[in-house]
Amino acid sequence: MSLEIENLHVRTGDREILRGVNLAIAKGETHALMGPNGSGKSTLANTIMGNPSYEVTDGRILFNGEDISAADPDERARAGVFMAFQYPAVIPGVSVANFLRTAVNARREEPIKVKDFGAMLKTHMDLLRIDRSFTKRYLNEGFSGGEKKRAEILQLAMLAPEIAILDETDSGLDIDALRIVADGVDALRGPAMGTLIITHYTRILKYIRPDFVHIMLDGRIVREGGAELADELEEKGYEFIRGEVAVADAG
Amino acid sequence: MPASFVEDRRRQALEIYDREPLPTWRRSGFWTTSLRQLRLDELAPRHHESVSSREDLPAIVAAALGDDDLAAVIVQRGASTVFSWIDPAIADAGVTFCSLENAVERHPELVEPWYMRRLSHDEGKFAAATAAFWTGGAFLHVPAGVRVEQPIQIVYLIDEPGSAQYAHTLAVVGEQADCRLREYCLAPDFAGQALHAGALEVYLEAGAQLKLASFQDWGGGEVYDISIKRVEVGRDAHCTWVPIHLGGHLTKQRLDIITAARGADMRHAGIYFTEGSEHLDLFTTDLHEQGDTTGDTVWKGALSGESRASYEGLIQIARDAQNSHTYLQTHSMLLSAKAKADAIPSLIVETDNVSASHGGTVGEIDEAQVFYMMTRGISRQDAIRILVEGYFEPVVQRIGDESLAQLVRARLAAKLAAAEPEVARYAAQR
Repeated sequence: MSLEIENLHVRTGDREILRGVNLAIAKGETHALMGPNGSGKSTLANTIMGNPSYEVTDGRILFNGEDISAADPDERARAGVFMAFQYPAVIPGVSVANFLRTAVNARREEPIKVKDFGAMLKTHMDLLRIDRSFTKRYLNEGFSGGEKKRAEILQLAMLAPEIAILDETDSGLDIDALRIVADGVDALRGPAMGTLIITHYTRILKYIRPDFVHIMLDGRIVREGGAELADELEEKGYEFIRGEVAVADAG
Repeated sequence: MPASFVEDRRRQALEIYDREPLPTWRRSGFWTTSLRQLRLDELAPRHHESVSSREDLPAIVAAALGDDDLAAVIVQRGASTVFSWIDPAIADAGVTFCSLENAVERHPELVEPWYMRRLSHDEGKFAAATAAFWTGGAFLHVPAGVRVEQPIQIVYLIDEPGSAQYAHTLAVVGEQADCRLREYCLAPDFAGQALHAGALEVYLEAGAQLKLASFQDWGGGEVYDISIKRVEVGRDAHCTWVPIHLGGHLTKQRLDIITAARGADMRHAGIYFTEGSEHLDLFTTDLHEQGDTTGDTVWKGALSGESRASYEGLIQIARDAQNSHTYLQTHSMLLSAKAKADAIPSLIVETDNVSASHGGTVGEIDEAQVFYMMTRGISRQDAIRILVEGYFEPVVQRIGDESLAQLVRARLAAKLAAAEPEVARYAAQR
């Protein structure tokens, strides 16, 4: 089992956001995590990556059996966890190509040969229909929303992690951009990678059919099921789910 | 017989020097540059022997020049011109490049129309000192229409304590001429005080093109630099000026760039990185005297240790300068808890139908950027290094001289590596 989240409680400031989250993702599986705004989805993703703004107050995170709850973000990344950010940072003065090479080399003993890097980059740029000139631009500087998301997926492609978390990768995208991103992710998923797609809307799940769907409300996962759960959610909405949960809690 | 146009000025300047006290510069209670600790009477011009070839120059100069293919070189060590060379082909094309002392003696007709045209000997004690006491110096005259590919190099070197170096560079780029000029100020680390009081005056005639780089690295000792640098850009001429400040115990400089006639355009991009207990005080002005002139000023600085840097940038648009467009931005990045930066952009606009905007930031390493990079497997240390390099990179690129750009990148990397422990501590505190 690649990633295991056990009874995770997370706080930021003096507010508890995650109240006992349990989740397990194996390589080869595609999971969707859905929930209304404020339910804690992004907090979960950030905590898995080790964002210092969030404090784990109980529970733990295991990666291939090893507790990574106290590991630094770069250690977790080098171990094989990746997150595509909802709001990627702008890194001025650093070109997309240079950044990618630095990230690729961070997990290698020997720096990658220029030729090999070039070939790898070209393959993935073609996959994501990214123009040559893109790689010379400073990372995320002046990028449109769609360009930022594609840059995230390009990094995902180049770093080939074992667990990929996509934090609202579909937000702010028009239908064409969404298609490209979804096709890219679809092409990258496979037996060597487990994927956690975090999303508010069901749109992206039409292109990337998940194996498991988890619904989060108020810092807990309240319902789980297969792909049909997403269809049910689309039909009935979060309020319905909230109602069901309330009944279950009361009974 | 020394030329009167120089000697008259020296006399007038000496009177001012004698009567002016050591200055202190203050700004509204937030910033002071004081020369309290400068023991000026213990400093004196030091003379040195000439060398006959570039290979015989002191190691620090040889290292800075590397293997660069240069059109001409002048090196002043202390008060003496110790090396002066010009590629014969360049000289044949009509370019004059020699010490200013020599130029005054042998080419007074070239020097006199320009000498101190935009400089005054009455701008404070040190401007007077420079005008009264300068020796050696450098003079460049590029005749109309001449294009010089390789850089023209001036070096001011101070390598012993107790040295007072009064420097004067005068450069004239003729109509439609095109060249690159680098002025390096270098010192190795040594204990004890030294002073560089310099004047740089550059004139671009109509249609001239100049890439000017002022590289200052006075080392980790106690070198004081109090200088004025002024560039005048003529009709339809263009100057890109990149001042770089990478070392000096106390630096107080005024850098002025004047777009003096229609169509004049300038790009001014500066870099500084102060360390330890260094003190840097810069005042730059972007002065538009005529209409249809354009400008662009960007300054980026970083501070470590307990250093202090103040950058004040003024855009001034005169009454006759309608339809000028210019922009100024200044950024400072604090890398330690005790460093202090002051960034003051300001505007004086005396006419309408212009655009002039400015902005300034003083900030620290952005933790969101660091976290983002760490999630890609990049260590915290590497992330900070890359962020600081990326911060400076757009300005480094403006240097337009790959060899100097490499030198600058190497120095910035070294300073950042030296600052690493305090950067880590600072981040942990926040």
